[in-house]
Amino acid sequence: MAASGTIRILDGNTFVVSEDTGDIEATPSEPTGLFSLDTRFLSTWVLKVNDERLNALSYDDLQYYEARFFLVPGMATHYIDAKLSIIRERAVGGSFREQITILNHDEKAVDLEIRMDAGSDFADLFQVKDEILNKKGEIYSEVEPDRLRLGYRRGNFVRETVISSSAPARYDSQGFAYTIHLEPNEQWETRIDVETLAVGPGGRDLRIGVRAHGTERLALQHDLEKWIREAPKLNSQHEDLASTYRRSLVDLAALRFSPLSLGGATLPAAGLPWFMTMFGRDSILTCLQTLPFTPALSKTTLRILASLQGTRFDDFRDEDPGRILHEMRYGETAAFEEQPHSPYYGSVDATPLFVVLLDEYERWTGDVALVKELEQESRAALRWVDEYADLVGNGYIWYERRNTDTGLENQCWKDSWDSISYSDGRLPPFPRATCEVQGYAYDAKVRAARLAREFWNDPAYADQLEREAAELKQRFNQDFWVDDGEYFALALDPDGRQCDVLSSNIGHLLWSGIVDHDRAEKIAGHLVGPRLFSGWGVRTLAEGEIRYNPIGYHNGTIWPFDNSFIAWGLRRYGFSEEAATIASGILDAATYFDGRLPEAFGGYHRDLTKFPVEYPTACSPQAWSTGTPLLLLRTMLGLEPHEGHLSVDPRLPIGMGRIEVLDIPGRWGRVDAFARGRLDLHRLTD
Amino acid sequence: MLDATTRFFEEIDRRGYEPRLAKTAGKLRLDLHEGPQTTHWLLHIDHGRIQVSQEDREADTVIGTSPALFEDIAAGREHGIAAILRGDMTVAGDARLLVQVERIFPGDPESRGPRRRFQREVR
Repeated sequence: MAASGTIRILDGNTFVVSEDTGDIEATPSEPTGLFSLDTRFLSTWVLKVNDERLNALSYDDLQYYEARFFLVPGMATHYIDAKLSIIRERAVGGSFREQITILNHDEKAVDLEIRMDAGSDFADLFQVKDEILNKKGEIYSEVEPDRLRLGYRRGNFVRETVISSSAPARYDSQGFAYTIHLEPNEQWETRIDVETLAVGPGGRDLRIGVRAHGTERLALQHDLEKWIREAPKLNSQHEDLASTYRRSLVDLAALRFSPLSLGGATLPAAGLPWFMTMFGRDSILTCLQTLPFTPALSKTTLRILASLQGTRFDDFRDEDPGRILHEMRYGETAAFEEQPHSPYYGSVDATPLFVVLLDEYERWTGDVALVKELEQESRAALRWVDEYADLVGNGYIWYERRNTDTGLENQCWKDSWDSISYSDGRLPPFPRATCEVQGYAYDAKVRAARLAREFWNDPAYADQLEREAAELKQRFNQDFWVDDGEYFALALDPDGRQCDVLSSNIGHLLWSGIVDHDRAEKIAGHLVGPRLFSGWGVRTLAEGEIRYNPIGYHNGTIWPFDNSFIAWGLRRYGFSEEAATIASGILDAATYFDGRLPEAFGGYHRDLTKFPVEYPTACSPQAWSTGTPLLLLRTMLGLEPHEGHLSVDPRLPIGMGRIEVLDIPGRWGRVDAFARGRLDLHRLTD
Repeated sequence: MLDATTRFFEEIDRRGYEPRLAKTAGKLRLDLHEGPQTTHWLLHIDHGRIQVSQEDREADTVIGTSPALFEDIAAGREHGIAAILRGDMTVAGDARLLVQVERIFPGDPESRGPRRRFQREVR
């Protein structure tokens, strides 16, 4: 159930966002609709009986791909004494299908006029989000005897919505209608099919042959059951934890996405509704979170990102040889190069993280073949780090967009325009080097050294990478350390000046291992200290900074995914109580969202609001929020591949009770992990 | 007139091997339609080794477009994936092969690449 009152169902990158009646009446502020391939295919879908709108008694979102609405005539303000009920059942799976059933409870026969208003603005997802509507092409509507065809044409770019009904309907350019007669206790039904077409000049759909699974309801259901069956089982005394885990698995299933170029294999898309597409950073981080539970996602993610790795310089797309993509889109603005996402490469973390994921994947699965298969891509990624990302010539990864119109200013995960600042609130010039990305580069080199030595038969390269990593670590601990505050600066400007604010990014540094051991305790202290830790989680920016705002997108909100990596980092450096404090705060927050963590929630102190305040336009479900409970479980249970085995070293807070995770897949086959809450966290949070 | 297209394929043929296609195998045919005439280019890719011909033979992937658009793609002035999304270039068969081959198309000739600051001017 979505907090905003909209109902969302989805399959891959086809999804429907509607009101709780099932109706769609899109406006810039209520971006409902049927979407596919980053295009809106229905912006109006309103059911009326005898010219009257319907009122929702209840609805169920049964599975991620289907929903059911129980309706009666008349608006909510009327006294409802309905003699008629209307049930709308819908599912997506490639196309969109809706079954309408009308029941007459009256002792008299009734004559009804049933009408569906249907229309589409064919808005690109970017236009919906940015509230721009100035279509350059032509919208048309063709009425055929047995169907209604809504279309949009701009040159050879054609998108069509084709609507047909099992019960004979009268079609007009703005919808379709039925005249029916129902005897007492009689019912009537019709099935409506809505196909979304992306037609090329040969009449061929762009998406032919890319389905991951059958699109019929039964196939979707079998696929979901198989997905759940293959994942480890979680048993817990803590009921909320068990339901959060299940919610995460189902949402991950929903967020799987088949890119056009991978022949049906799936990787996690970033999130509903705006990000049902391939994102380098989001897909990789989600895979890192979910590796112990759903390792197959990592293999396909690595392969698809490798197959689209940059090969040339393209300033519009911020592409360089070796660079891993940021975002792929299929809509009109990408097609006509009004947006650069075909694909866009403007992120600096996806490339080192690609190497990090490959190593972590091998440590869990023992899939040496993939490590060998992706040797050249890994080397190209590391070459990008050294040759093309070091814009200042001092051994760090920097970013400065070359596409100054539509490229991203901040090419790190905090990618909003004002996310990187000095402590006086000013924004630094470009290029910028954010701290966490240097950590990823360090980790990538250390991990690639292992791959080079063990699998690529290149010990000299391994030595070189280890030497470079050690030098980077030493340099980083000098240049980024803020002496006054005793933490690492958020970023450096091109003159080497520090963006000396206290931020959550320092937690990622622990995860990467770039922090000198004698400084780790200070960092851990900040992360669970009062300026960063709200009681629910770690704020993106510390309270007391000039730009701090508890609902500032990257300047004070709490991002669950961020916290999961912070907890992992704390655990890596031995701060298991601090890690458990963050893990239990975030898992507590999840219970307020029915186990579905949003992208971000407010940085208000826990005592002040008593419940986590969802960030207004946060995306949900979002892949790396969905992956968060899984990584927190891994962290608390201390699951770590070690010399071909799975080691388990649990550090659970007392309130967590007993947890068992059964059938954890990996190079060891399947292994169980058991844990019991023994940590008293009050010492830390008081 | 069609210099860049011919040069693009001749250059591939001359090299005979393309490391970026080392994991790729299959036949890709390009059909360039102009009025009643269609020109063909056939790439036979076998794990990086490439044979180029102008035969009209069956292929795993067939892409179709105008000679003018492909001329721009071969020169880096137009982008292959965007052209497909736009419907100006069509794909039949295995789209994966096209996505792989697209990576060997040249980049935009006007792109400057990373803007290094190694010798920045003193303000």
